[in-house]
Amino acid sequence: MSPLQSQLHADKRLTERAGYFEVSGAHLYTVLHEVRNPAARLLLVGPFASERHNTYIPLVRWARYLAARDIEVLRYDYRGIGESTGVLDELTFDDWAQDVLLLSAWLAERSPAAPLVLHGLALGSVLAGRAFDSGTGDALLLWSPPANANQALRSTLMRWVGLEQIFKFGNDRRSTADYIRALEQGSPLEVEGYEWSTRLWQDSFGFTLPQTLENEQSAASAYQRPVKITRLGKEAAPLAKGGSVGYDDLKDFTWLFAPHHDWIAEAASKFNKVEAHAAGH
Amino acid sequence: MQQATETRELIEVEVLGHRLRGTFHRPAGLGTRGVGEQRTAVLFLNSLALPRAATGDSAIYWAASFAEHGYPAFRFDLQGLGDSDGETSTDLLDFINAGGYAPSAAALAKELTARDGISGVVIAGHCAGSVTAVFAAASCRECNGLILMDPYFHLPVAKRPEVREKLSDWVRRSSVGKMLSNLYDRAKLLRLILRGSTLPGNANVALLGRWKNVAAAGLPILMFKAPGIKATGSKPRLGEFDYIQHVLKLAGRKSRVTVKTVATADHSFANRAGRDAVRREIENWLACNFPPQGSESSAHTASLSSAKTRHSDSTKPSMPPSSRDCALEGR
Repeated sequence: MSPLQSQLHADKRLTERAGYFEVSGAHLYTVLHEVRNPAARLLLVGPFASERHNTYIPLVRWARYLAARDIEVLRYDYRGIGESTGVLDELTFDDWAQDVLLLSAWLAERSPAAPLVLHGLALGSVLAGRAFDSGTGDALLLWSPPANANQALRSTLMRWVGLEQIFKFGNDRRSTADYIRALEQGSPLEVEGYEWSTRLWQDSFGFTLPQTLENEQSAASAYQRPVKITRLGKEAAPLAKGGSVGYDDLKDFTWLFAPHHDWIAEAASKFNKVEAHAAGH
Repeated sequence: MQQATETRELIEVEVLGHRLRGTFHRPAGLGTRGVGEQRTAVLFLNSLALPRAATGDSAIYWAASFAEHGYPAFRFDLQGLGDSDGETSTDLLDFINAGGYAPSAAALAKELTARDGISGVVIAGHCAGSVTAVFAAASCRECNGLILMDPYFHLPVAKRPEVREKLSDWVRRSSVGKMLSNLYDRAKLLRLILRGSTLPGNANVALLGRWKNVAAAGLPILMFKAPGIKATGSKPRLGEFDYIQHVLKLAGRKSRVTVKTVATADHSFANRAGRDAVRREIENWLACNFPPQGSESSAHTASLSSAKTRHSDSTKPSMPPSSRDCALEGR
């Protein structure tokens, strides 16, 4: 049994509450990894559509890892995806950005007060980064942030095309460029059961990560709040590109979780000291 | 936060010391058939490590549709998967192929059947989920039927060597590779002929045994096949052992097995055309085998049409969605 598994076994007392959060015309599926007196609260903004499925187990384990260490976590499904309701074809990046703000507000209002960390992976990094840029959250943790939503979609598309090609021979095989061309010419594309519209593809170019979040240095000078940016390598699959779905999900991610937990704890501790100092004056 | 929407409810069930989390799709007309009404529910299991929504949220789509047609539908994460508690083996595929999830799935079926208005469950599984479904059905009196999507009856290698992957990729890309691949298939066919009806060395004998138990006992089973690599219909690729034919033979004359090939689907059945075809087939099959209470004519039709093994042609997407004609089953 790995150290992480032992830890999880020891933490059966942790409470996880699944629920539906009502937004305009839909219900967001949420799971709160509840902590009684949290050192911090973290909103986990996961990746898009089919990547949600591929990263599900590691992200649930990450949430449990943090909750076992006094960080309360709220994870959720994008509107129109997974357990959340809503019609994917009708939704826009702005809808998903709004969901981040609504859930952040809900989490920040929980009692007792604790610093709020926004944490995104892939497209979730763009959503979390934009929310942070607009003033939401006390700290920001980004895993593999793309420069814009299109990069996230493109990465998903490339992985899917790779899978598709397993079943095709010779001229039947289509390249990523072929699929992109079709999308740009107005044909929707089904990617692992999700229909991508031309509108979604076109909008994705304009849905960008704030330039100040390109690296930690520029973020440090732009915001007076802690920001950490980690680019995950293929050893982090399925959280990053590479590996095999269904086989890499269950591996031990303690090497990734531990340092990021430490960073969150330190950011929260600094924030709490500043708050205490301000209250003292 | 709410626990339910108009049609869905989040539920937790304690099974064999693990808290399993799932979604219940409330059936239409619940409570309108009077006190003591009993319905057969559909229970979806995880496909390998996928969460209970399944690829492209296809399981949600199917569950919602069956509920609309009056069948309670449950989607659950087994232990260590999705949102459920517990750990699972790091050799997940081997664990599943050995029936590792069967005790949980069977206990879950029992737990759900103990609920008001549920007379039993049809267990639905895709790929590795179908292996669990068969194992669970063999050890579970509450299982009224099985829906198996692209089941396999051998012991696949979890991860092929990288060299093999690269070779396969080259074969698929080049015309010479294709030619060599065809030659390889013919060599395999020759070996297959020489071996006769002997099972391949990597057959999942334990699973085949459980299959024989449940299928020969007359459990209604609906099996879907998606076109495989270099394969047509439900037939395997040239040179590969025909497991479908084998399991139909094992099932015997009294079995109630229906095989449907969904020509428009990929292996996940999550693409639009594939999932629609699957939905229509399952709805017809449910109506025939588990007619809503009080529908005597349907029950009669079902008993007439389902008492033999059927092996159908491909499912075409043009089939009328509203069709509930059980005669379709015998095509």
